Amino acid sequence: MQLIPSEFVIGDVYFPPLLIAALVGFFAAWLTTQLLNRYRLSRFFAYPPVVLLSLAVIYTVVFGTFLIPA
Amino acid sequence: MPLSIRFKESFKTALAMTIAYGIALGMDWDKPYWAGFAVAFISLATVGQSLNKGALRVLGTLVAVVVALTLIALFPQDRWLFILALSVWVGLCTYMMAGGKYQYFWNVGGFVVVVISASAAPDSVDAFHIAVLRTEETGLGILVYSLVAVLLWPSNSHAEFNAAARKLAAIQHRLFQSYLGLMNGRGDSAEVPSLRAEVVQQQTQFGQLLAAAQTDSYEVWELRRQWRRYQRQTADLTQTLERWRESFAEVQELDLQRLVPDLAAFGAELEGRFAQFERMLANQAPERSPEARDLALNHGEARSLSHFHQAALAVTHSRLQHLERLTRSLFDSLADIKGFGQTVAVSETASSRGAGVVPDPDRLAGAVRVIIILWLAFLGFIYVPDLPGGAGFVSMAVPFGMILAASPQLPIMALFVPAVTGVLFAGLLYVFVMPQLSSFFGLGLMLFAVTFAICYLFAAPRQALGRVFGLAMFVVVTSITNEQTYSFLTVANTALMFPLVFLLLAVSTYFPFDLRPKWALQRLLGRFFRSGEYLLSTMRWDPQRSPSRLDRWRKAYHARELASLPQKLSAWARFIDTKALPGTSAEQVQALVTSLQALTYRMQELLEARANPHAEFIIQELLQDIRAWRLRVQEAFGRLSRDPASGDNQRARAILEDILGRLEARVEETLNKASEEQLSAQDREHFYRLLGAFRGLSETLIGYVANAAAIDWVRWREARF
Repeated sequence: MQLIPSEFVIGDVYFPPLLIAALVGFFAAWLTTQLLNRYRLSRFFAYPPVVLLSLAVIYTVVFGTFLIPA
Repeated sequence: MPLSIRFKESFKTALAMTIAYGIALGMDWDKPYWAGFAVAFISLATVGQSLNKGALRVLGTLVAVVVALTLIALFPQDRWLFILALSVWVGLCTYMMAGGKYQYFWNVGGFVVVVISASAAPDSVDAFHIAVLRTEETGLGILVYSLVAVLLWPSNSHAEFNAAARKLAAIQHRLFQSYLGLMNGRGDSAEVPSLRAEVVQQQTQFGQLLAAAQTDSYEVWELRRQWRRYQRQTADLTQTLERWRESFAEVQELDLQRLVPDLAAFGAELEGRFAQFERMLANQAPERSPEARDLALNHGEARSLSHFHQAALAVTHSRLQHLERLTRSLFDSLADIKGFGQTVAVSETASSRGAGVVPDPDRLAGAVRVIIILWLAFLGFIYVPDLPGGAGFVSMAVPFGMILAASPQLPIMALFVPAVTGVLFAGLLYVFVMPQLSSFFGLGLMLFAVTFAICYLFAAPRQALGRVFGLAMFVVVTSITNEQTYSFLTVANTALMFPLVFLLLAVSTYFPFDLRPKWALQRLLGRFFRSGEYLLSTMRWDPQRSPSRLDRWRKAYHARELASLPQKLSAWARFIDTKALPGTSAEQVQALVTSLQALTYRMQELLEARANPHAEFIIQELLQDIRAWRLRVQEAFGRLSRDPASGDNQRARAILEDILGRLEARVEETLNKASEEQLSAQDREHFYRLLGAFRGLSETLIGYVANAAAIDWVRWREARF
């Protein structure tokens, strides 16, 4: 496992990988919920706002672990 | 070439901003942008409006300074008790801010306490210095703007106020003409919705300009009590016109010319009064004084009608009589104001007298929302290391939260887009322009140019949010001081702070109450019918016995709910996303809300008719029948409060026809055996009003059920992200 944290560099600005993973994770969660709305699958969830939050966390962890590891 | 108002107003704000910064920097004060803030937030269209807002900002700041220093002194070492006390104060301010009076005072009073506390967070020794600094810089900004507004192209509100008063009178006149035509079976009902909307809009504008004109016009200040009375009377007139219109459905099939022989002359008299209002508002002496008129009914003809038709006639008749009295007192008020008549004593009306403080659940929910935002921001500040913005994160989240609490319908994106645009624009200036400036000459030019550009480009009233956020972000991000340093981190941190602030605001849209329009609308519908059910249940109270304090309080609460909920529902209905609800159109939602307003008027009519004294004979004979009818309506309200879509239009109509048929016979039988001593003419009138009000309520309820049936409630109730 890589012990030195890898960072994103845009120009001369360094961004922490978790921030990028969180941004991508939130976008992916939002996209998923739009699709669920589009196909009327949202009605199967008791309280969609919590689902959005949970999806954002799940995606962030998945992306942070596999795609953009620290 | 004459300069446009847009140019002049933008120029004044830009000049005030530059001078305020110049003085603050010249005095070597810390945080000179607080003076800039004051200029940005109080600049409004007229001197009076700006002075009013400025005065409220100064007063709010002074109160906030005292509260902030007291809280810091009381809890210097205990952050939890401190934040607890702070949230109580902020909650109170948010609650009061959503009320009708001194909204901006409460707004400033709430968030400035948070700003001072957050600024003093690193070291409470500085608290006093910061509080004084905030006060003097707010005072400076307001003083500079006021002087600029008064000396440079002063625009007095008096002319605008007079124009607004004339326009309001003209629209109410047109509404009256339109309703008179409709009652007589002619006229165009298509123009009514737009006229009604115009009246509401004009009434709001009249109120705002009255507040401004009494500040910048001595003539209006001298007559402010009379103008306030006139304002109340015009509001009453609008409501009376609406309640009158609601009674048309049942009388349109009657031959009114025969039943009310004086109706044409009566209509012409009222019509003449409206014309005189407009004359007086144009400073012309009235051509004639109103004649007191008693609208006599042709009782012989009226007796030949069915009892329910007589009841409908009684309701319309009472509305017309009320209209007659109201227009007469309006005439007297205007004649007094314009000096064409005698002075009329002004009496202040007290609302919900004897019922104590009646809380508003929506304002309470707004206060809870802001407290949650404050706590989340505070917890973030304490427990998240290097949170972008630091203590500024807390002081930025609360004002945004308060704006949203006052207008919960506002989508967060409506605030997010101007805020982000403002940050980006100010960031570019900060990074690329400001490092090139070396003296106040250059800085002043930039301040002037940017402020002028923002004010000029966002001059329309509907762009007010863009203007305020543009200026505020410019002031925050540039953070101008005498020892100016430049760091990309400042912009980056501010830019990062905003998504976090908006994330907090988004969280507070879903927790603890779901504030999305489609859910809010359903909740309000439930509350509307619950209040209706309760008010109907109060009709069983014995008029001889005084109700307990708790009962009076509950009745006042539900009466206020019933009167205010249709307006709140109308505000929410505009934000319903009908694209996400196939099969439901915006017109259908609006029709639903309109039928609720009609239900409110009918309920008020019923409660008023019930409050009249009724003959003992009638009570003995018909109590059981009326009671049974009330219980049916009450039960329907109860059912609708649990499910606003329940009810079958056809079935309800059949039940009502059945009740009307049976009651007609019972009333006939009862009135036939009543002697003159047992039933006076007034008793008959009171009874018919009650009967008419019951029927009106039932008919309107059926109308609501029909409107509700047109909406696809299955899709409406579906959970969506």
